[in-house]
Amino acid sequence: MKSSCRVFMHVRRGSLLALSLMLVSQVMLAAETGTQLQRVDPEADRLALQQYYLKRFPHVPMDEYVNGIYAVDADSRKQWDALMAFPPYEFDLEEGEALFNTPFANGKGYGDCFENGGIGIRHQYPYWNREEGTVKTLEQEINECRVENGEAPLPWKRGDIAKISAYMAFTSRGKRFAIQIPEDDPRALQAYLDGKKFFYSKRGQLNLSCANCHLQGSRILIRADLPGPALGHPTHFPVFRSKWGEIGTLHRRYEGCHRDTRSVPLPPQSDAFRKLEYFQTYMSNGLPVNGPGARK
Amino acid sequence: MKRKMLVPAVVTLLHAQGLYAASFEQVFNEQRALYGKGHEFSYGGKIHTTFHPEEIEAMAEPNAANARALIDGAEALRVESAAVGYEWRGPAIYIRQAREALAAGRYQSAMELAARAKYLARMSLKQYRNAEANWQRAVPE
Amino acid sequence: MRRLRSTLWAMMASCAFCGPVTAVTQEEMIRLGRDIYHDKSRGNCISCHNISDPVTNLPGNQGPMMIAMKQRYPDRRKLRAQVWDATAANPLSIMPPVGKHWILSEDEIDAVVEYIYQY
Repeated sequence: MKSSCRVFMHVRRGSLLALSLMLVSQVMLAAETGTQLQRVDPEADRLALQQYYLKRFPHVPMDEYVNGIYAVDADSRKQWDALMAFPPYEFDLEEGEALFNTPFANGKGYGDCFENGGIGIRHQYPYWNREEGTVKTLEQEINECRVENGEAPLPWKRGDIAKISAYMAFTSRGKRFAIQIPEDDPRALQAYLDGKKFFYSKRGQLNLSCANCHLQGSRILIRADLPGPALGHPTHFPVFRSKWGEIGTLHRRYEGCHRDTRSVPLPPQSDAFRKLEYFQTYMSNGLPVNGPGARK
Repeated sequence: MKRKMLVPAVVTLLHAQGLYAASFEQVFNEQRALYGKGHEFSYGGKIHTTFHPEEIEAMAEPNAANARALIDGAEALRVESAAVGYEWRGPAIYIRQAREALAAGRYQSAMELAARAKYLARMSLKQYRNAEANWQRAVPE
Repeated sequence: MRRLRSTLWAMMASCAFCGPVTAVTQEEMIRLGRDIYHDKSRGNCISCHNISDPVTNLPGNQGPMMIAMKQRYPDRRKLRAQVWDATAANPLSIMPPVGKHWILSEDEIDAVVEYIYQY
C-alpha cells in the first residue's frame, strides 16, 4: 500500500492517533468500494453513480442522461435543440444504411454476421465473449464480419465504420442497454473492474482521470466547454461532433480524451479501451440507445 | 508519553512497508514546492538541495558520453512506462530533441532535454504506482 | 523571451540579499506571469480560474477565482506550493501538478504567483 505521502503528513505533524485511524479507515474504504475481484459489485456501482447525479442535478430524469451535457445545462440545450432541427448525421445515416445493405463480393452481407440480421442489437454491445475471453464491441464485429467474408477491415475511427455503426444504432433506438457480466466467468468481472479502474485513474502529465472531468467536473466550465456527465456517456455513439466536422466512433473520442491528458494515447479497440467501454456501458444499463448523436 | 511509545512502533511499521525512503521524497517535494530549485534543506542530519536527481545529472561535464548516458536512462524509463500503459507524451519528444542536440554536438542542451525526459518518465511511473494504490478513492459511494 | 527571462532572473538573484526587487523587474515578472496564465499552450490557468483582468476571455470555473489571494495565502510560499502540486493537499484534485509534473518551469511558476498575488 503506497499511501506514504499521507502517512508522512500525519507523522510529521506528530498526529499519531490520526495515523492509526487513517490506516484503519483506508482498509475499510477499500473493502467498501469493490476494488478487488471478490468484492466488486457492478450493480451497486451503477446505482451509486445514479445516486451521485440524482444529488447533483435533482430535477433531471434518468432517461435524459443519454443527452449528455444537454440533459443538465439549459443554455447548451437551447443551442443543441436548434442544431437538431436538421441533425448533422442524417447523410451519414443514409450512407450507413446503404453500406450495411450492400452485399460483399461473395454475395453475403453484414446482416449474415449478426443476430436478427444486425437490426436492433446495439443495446447488447459491448459484451463478454467467453470463447475468446475478451470484451467485444460492435465496431470490432463489423470488421470481423468483413474479414470473414474476404473484405478488408475498415479503419476504426471515422468514415464507413462509424456510418455502419450509426445505422445499426439507429435501428436500435429506444432499446435499453442491457450489458451482462456473466457470473460464472470471473474474467468478465475482471474486465469490468479493469474498465472501472481505468475510468478513475489519473493519467498523463496533466494528471487527469476520466472522472476528474466527467464525474466531479461535469457541467463546470473548462474555458468555454462544459464536460458532460459520465452517466449515459456511451449511449449516443457514434457521434457527429462539430469539432471534427464529421462522424466518429467512441474509441476515436477515447483516444482524443486520453491524448488531452498529455498521455501517449492507446489505440482504438485496444484491450483497455474495450474494457472501459464495457464499464461505461454497464453504468448506462437501463438507459435507451439514442445513437447516432450530435455534440459540439 | 503516549507519543514516546508509539514512535518506535510507527517507525518499524513504516520500515516494514518500505515507506522510509518515501519520507525524504515527501520533504523534498514540500521544499521544492515552496522554494523552487537549488534551495538547501536538512533531512536526516544532512544538507540536501531541491535539485531533482536528473537536474544534478545534467550538471555533469557536457560531453557526448554524459549526454548519451542521460538519454539512455530516460529512454529506459519511457519504455517502462509505456509497458504499463502510462506513457506521457513529453519524454519521447524530449528524447528525440536530445538525440538531435547530441548529434549536433550541443551536449549541454542534449543533457538538459534528456534530464527533463527522464524526470517526466519517472513521474509517469510514479503516477502509475499511485493510481494502482489509490484509484478507488475517487469512486462515489 | 527566454533570454529576457534569464536576464531578469539573474538580476533578481544578484539582488536577493540587497532589499526589495526593483519595480521594473517585478513588472516584467507580472507581465510574464500574465502571459503564461492566459496562454492556452502554456499555463492555461484561465481555463479553470477566473481572474479580474481585462484580458480575461472565456474563463472556466473548475477551480476558485483568483481573488483575495493575500488573505487566502498570507504566506506567499504556500500559494506557490499549491500551484506546484495541488494534489499534495487533495489527491483527487483536478488541478494538474504544475511544478511536480514540470508543466511550467520553476521560473514560470514564480512569475504566475507574482501575477496572481496582486489579486
